[in-house]
Amino acid sequence: MTFRRAAGACGLLLMVWGAWLLVRQPEPWRIALWLAGAVAVHDGLVAPLVFAVGSLAAAAGLRLRGIPRAALIVAGSLTAIALPPLLRPGAAANPTALPLDYLRNWLLTMAAIAVLTLLYLGARTVRRRAGRSAPQVDEVPPRRLP
Amino acid sequence: MRLPLPPGPPVTFTARLHDARTATAIGRWLGLAFAVCFATGVLSHFLQHPPGWLADRLPSRPYWGYRLTQGLHVASGIAAVPLLLAKLWAVYPRLFAWPPVRSATHALERLSVAVLVAAALFQLFTGLLNTFQWYPWPFSFVPVHYAVAWVVTGALLLHVAVQWPKIRDHFTLESPGTLALPGADGPNRRQLLFGVAAAVGAVTLTTVGQSVTALGRLDLFAPRSPAHGVQGLPVNRTAAAARVTRASLAGWRLTVDGPRPYALTLDELRAMPQHEVTLPIACVEGWSKSARWTGVRVRDLLERAGGGPGARARVVALEAAGAYRVMDMGRLYAQDPLTLLALRLNGEALSLDHGYPARIIAPNRPGVLQTKWVGRLEVV
Repeated sequence: MTFRRAAGACGLLLMVWGAWLLVRQPEPWRIALWLAGAVAVHDGLVAPLVFAVGSLAAAAGLRLRGIPRAALIVAGSLTAIALPPLLRPGAAANPTALPLDYLRNWLLTMAAIAVLTLLYLGARTVRRRAGRSAPQVDEVPPRRLP
Repeated sequence: MRLPLPPGPPVTFTARLHDARTATAIGRWLGLAFAVCFATGVLSHFLQHPPGWLADRLPSRPYWGYRLTQGLHVASGIAAVPLLLAKLWAVYPRLFAWPPVRSATHALERLSVAVLVAAALFQLFTGLLNTFQWYPWPFSFVPVHYAVAWVVTGALLLHVAVQWPKIRDHFTLESPGTLALPGADGPNRRQLLFGVAAAVGAVTLTTVGQSVTALGRLDLFAPRSPAHGVQGLPVNRTAAAARVTRASLAGWRLTVDGPRPYALTLDELRAMPQHEVTLPIACVEGWSKSARWTGVRVRDLLERAGGGPGARARVVALEAAGAYRVMDMGRLYAQDPLTLLALRLNGEALSLDHGYPARIIAPNRPGVLQTKWVGRLEVV
């Protein structure tokens, strides 16, 4: 309990120190606006979009689990880090900065993820059909997992 | 007039895995990523802007130190992107907790979480955009990113302290809180965590090639690539940006100030004992690459000007303006035998963009302090 209180107090102290550094900046309210904007964009736009994808999939009778869900998480994360070079306006400072074909790399990555996921789903369907005609094995009780 | 409180929250969630075990499992990795990011970031801040009492104590070894720590800073920040998004997904329903505020303590707790989320998103967003040299905001990146780093670290520490009973109750698979959750969620959760881990691996592998040259072929989304450079090395500030031209360098001489000042032409510098070192350029933006440098030891130049074994150096570039035109070098850097006034890079005379006729290369330092187009060296 004492340790918890000490950690919490330390945290508060660091926050106050950071806030003090912030208010010494010119026009700190502009920074506050960008901080609040980050939450607004995530909570009001990005998160609802993700939940909408899940709801739409559920409405279409798809269960977003396992590999297809992992594929969406990977594709979404790669897209998030690819957005800055894709959207950045203006030319790069010199030919060695932003030297890659980011649009091509993004399209290739998305295509690769889609192909691998479809291959997996195809293989699973084939396996299940084959499994249905094979003799049933006793079901193994589920292990407790994370 | 009192507004009646609706009986329930405006949004309800039926999806699985928005539970404390998922939040704990992802939160641990996210906490680790933020801890590494904060430690390496503060280190970088002090290497780049050392306070006076520290300047002479900053070590020049290991020579690859800054390359490692700043590579880790950017890599841990990028790895935190999927982790933060997954963590926020896991706890998102709590945004609609009902009633929204139960007590003053509850209000303060929610406020601290709002600060944590805002600061965490802000740090990853500004940090990532900075590596692409994209500054759409109306404030100065370095001091604000530095200040918000303290806010986010403090808010994280406070959050862990507040949530500690829940974290402890869900820390392992056998913890009482974990066991109390529906057992059927276990395989589902494991698959979700596998997906998040795969995303961390994917964003890391497709960007880390900018700092780990051996993985350069996997570099798909980083702002730099070891395969693209002048004389085998990427350039940050070009001669054009610094307004240095071949014409402006006509009749160039290196001036060395000290108790016994002197000046040297490029031919005279070439006639001095030359040393070859292999040292990386490691940029604050995360990219780094090793190169072979040939030139004169800075400590030899300082000694000839009457600088003793404790001499520090001040280096002045020929560029007209720029935040790093004047660079101070602490004693341990100035006296390190690896620290050169380099004239050649990877076997060729320096190109104009790499600092022709002479530039500094020192071990374990941010790239912005590897001054190019050196005009004057002073014993301090």
